[in-house]
Amino acid sequence: MHRPNETFGRQPNVQRHLCARARRGFLQFLTFIIALVFFTATGLLAQQAKPSEYQVKAAYLYNFGRFIKWPAGIAASKGDSFPVCVLGRDPFGPILDSTLAGEALEGKPVVIRRIAKEQDAADCRILFVSSTEEHHLKEILAATDQAGVLTVSDIPGFSRRGGMIQFVMEGDRVRFEINLATAESAKLVLSSELLKVAAAVRRNARSGD
Amino acid sequence: MFAQKHSISRKLTWMNMLVSGAALLLACAAFIAFDMITFRQAMLRNLSTQAQIIGANSVSALLFNDPQSAEKTLLALKAAPNILSAQVYLPDGRPFASYSRDRGPHNPVLPPIPPGQTETHRIENGQIALVRSIVLDGKPIGAVYIRSDLQELQSRFQRYAAIAAIVLSACLLAALLISSVFRRAVAEPIVDLSKIAKVVSQDKNYSVRATPVRSPAELAILIDAFNEMLAQIQESEGALRMARDELEQRVRERTAELETAKREVEEFSRSILLAKEEVERGSRFKDQFLSTMSHELRTPLNAVLGFSDLLADERYGPLNDRQQRYVAHIHTGGKHLLKLISDILDLSKIEAGRMELAREDVTVASAFAEVISALYPLAEKKSQALHQHAAPNLHVHADAMRFKQVLMNLAGNAIKFTPEGGRIELAACQVDDQVRVEVRDNGPGIPADQQQRIFEAFFRLTETGSATEGTGLGLAITSRLVELHGGKLEIESRPGAGTCFYFSLPLVAIIPDEAAPASIPMPRAPRAPRILVVEDNPATGQLIQSQLTSSGYETLRCDKPERAMEMAAEHQPDAITLDLIMQPVHGLEVLLQLKNDPRTSMIPVIVVTIVDQPGVGTVLGADEYLIKPVDKATLLAAVERCLRSRGGSAPARTILVVEDDVSTLEMIVELLRVYGYAVSTATDGAQARASVAQSLPELVILDLVLPKMSGFELLAEWRSNPRTADLSVFVLTSKDLTKEEEKYVHAHAESLFRKQNSWREPLIKQLERVVTSTSLENA
Repeated sequence: MHRPNETFGRQPNVQRHLCARARRGFLQFLTFIIALVFFTATGLLAQQAKPSEYQVKAAYLYNFGRFIKWPAGIAASKGDSFPVCVLGRDPFGPILDSTLAGEALEGKPVVIRRIAKEQDAADCRILFVSSTEEHHLKEILAATDQAGVLTVSDIPGFSRRGGMIQFVMEGDRVRFEINLATAESAKLVLSSELLKVAAAVRRNARSGD
Repeated sequence: MFAQKHSISRKLTWMNMLVSGAALLLACAAFIAFDMITFRQAMLRNLSTQAQIIGANSVSALLFNDPQSAEKTLLALKAAPNILSAQVYLPDGRPFASYSRDRGPHNPVLPPIPPGQTETHRIENGQIALVRSIVLDGKPIGAVYIRSDLQELQSRFQRYAAIAAIVLSACLLAALLISSVFRRAVAEPIVDLSKIAKVVSQDKNYSVRATPVRSPAELAILIDAFNEMLAQIQESEGALRMARDELEQRVRERTAELETAKREVEEFSRSILLAKEEVERGSRFKDQFLSTMSHELRTPLNAVLGFSDLLADERYGPLNDRQQRYVAHIHTGGKHLLKLISDILDLSKIEAGRMELAREDVTVASAFAEVISALYPLAEKKSQALHQHAAPNLHVHADAMRFKQVLMNLAGNAIKFTPEGGRIELAACQVDDQVRVEVRDNGPGIPADQQQRIFEAFFRLTETGSATEGTGLGLAITSRLVELHGGKLEIESRPGAGTCFYFSLPLVAIIPDEAAPASIPMPRAPRAPRILVVEDNPATGQLIQSQLTSSGYETLRCDKPERAMEMAAEHQPDAITLDLIMQPVHGLEVLLQLKNDPRTSMIPVIVVTIVDQPGVGTVLGADEYLIKPVDKATLLAAVERCLRSRGGSAPARTILVVEDDVSTLEMIVELLRVYGYAVSTATDGAQARASVAQSLPELVILDLVLPKMSGFELLAEWRSNPRTADLSVFVLTSKDLTKEEEKYVHAHAESLFRKQNSWREPLIKQLERVVTSTSLENA
């Protein structure tokens, strides 16, 4: 039995239910309880019943880091931390901090930086470009073009315009599009797993604009 | 037979099949079980790998919430036909993506994953359910659930089972074939052996032999041993048969011998039977002779004695001296002859073993007293002193009559052979559990060389000076009688120092209190007559008293003659006995006083004296005059006469005497007339019967041996008739009675008198008592 006191303490209703059941049903029931305990205990991400859009996006930011490999030289030049930066007006608020606090990527602790100028973006690993920066997107992309920075934004047309990953909404579900050509040119290796779940993958560098 | 063969062969086959079948079955089962377990583990491993792949391919889908991607991954399971369904779950337990081949349950219950592990499985309902958690960076991000059927496992099992069945049947077939070889090698020799054994046991044919085999070794030994055993049995049976034949021959011979011997024995036993009959006839003849003798000899002798007695009484005129002497000789001779006959008959009876003893407890002292009182007159005649010493409670188990006869013979002999003034002593004492009885005298004694011969019949002492009267049979009879009682008569004597005869009889337990008086027959008189005995000599007084007392009288003793008058007046006795020679007053004076006093003048007086002057006594008023020595019978007769004369008249009715011997009849009639009785007679049974039928007599004196109708028949008839049931009957006979006859007589008659003994006085005495008492009763 796995900490039965705790189990029963947490589920008084279930306990009452148990009493009402026959003995054979008890095993099935116990199985159910234990499974439930397992998932509740391990399901950190499921604590909020209805995560908000930016909560999801914050988590995605982190998850992108897990499926992408940065080139070795860039990794060494960017120091002992794994900076995740937000350029422009921050749409996350404290959510981003609480989501990424204490996490690590590529063996380095994740740090969050909020920057205002595109010049500062070269030191980041992941750069979220706020929609407020749409007007000088060209400059931002240019600044990060060869710096090994994963650019993410929810600006419409971002991936078409040279950004690497763009959040898109399918109803209330958050999805993303990948511009694989841009990422590859930046020497970032994206896992096929990531590509598999992307809403769309662009293989040409730019289309128009 | 066939069934037996069948049985052992079948058993062997069964054994073979059973053993090989069981071994194979076990082996197959083990192999299949092992394979199933291994295969199942492989299946599980497969399933786990698949779950792992699905998990790995579903990470991004989970992370980026892309169920379609996950479902795409799951669709790959289509290639595995055993996978029934698969699901990917979110960490909170919500289903994320699912795949199902059989449209089974969409929300299956997940088996729990133990902490610290990432995978668990459950097998149920022919399906395996496996759950594996999806972990990324040490954190579970979801779980994969795969459900697979066990179709493969089952089909594999079926395949294996079929193969096992084929192998098993092939093996059993092989075993069956092999066992037939065994059967030939083992079973058939055994069956063969059993056949032979059956032949031996049923037909007793020991010449057959079992077929020897070489293997197996035990069977070979068994068959060899069996054959050897048969050979031995055959041999010993032959020997046995020979011995039996020989034995039969011998038995036949012996039987023939026995047959012969049996015939001889039968012949012998027939001759013995004949001899026995002869002996029995002789014995019967002897008995008859004896009883006839006793009757035929005694009857005339009784007449001789009776009439000589009557003559001597001078009732029919005085006799001169010569006549008196001759009559006395006749009487003495007759008495001697009677005694001789009695003794011879007694001796013959003893020798023939026909003497029957009526044993009872006898008080030795009272037997002594009776003997002494009977012998007293004899002893007194020779001035001899008679003494007795016996403890009052000393008893022996003996025939009272015979015991007294023994004592009488011994004491009589002692008196006879002891000179005048001698002393004779009867003594009895207890020695251990025996009573030793002695008769001792101080006579001349018996020489040693004659001491043993004196017990022979007809032996007489040669040197005795006294007259040798007696039969010479006394001691022989005495000795035999003592032997009959279980003792032995012995003698102790030295010439000049007296003689002692002694014998020992078994002691009877001493009865502490004497109950004797009850057994003394009392007269029928309502009150016993009282007799005053006047006698100054204590011994004589005591003797007279005992004689009277033993006959039922009450006695008073007066040993001072001067007081006799007073006592008579005071006690008013029915009669007085009076001695004459007394101090200080002479008996005649006492007589005068008694007769002159009105108070006592009516009392009859019987003078008992040695003074032979009857005339004087009669003149002075004595009713009876008896000269000492007086025997009991005489005394009693005198007393009876006195009492009767005083009591009343003679009976009116007659006394019927039934006697076939005319002289005896006349004698009895004469005797009765002398005593004043009226008499009628009958000489045979028929007459007696008629006489009694006509008029009832006062009393009947009955002989037992009678013509026409015996005394026994008469008695029986009278007793059965109420009119004569109370008739007094005295039996007077010379017949030697058997025990039964004697018993019968005692039961049906008043008294029994034997002619061989002196019967006259007892008869008269008894007669007087009976007649007196009846007349008193009638009055």
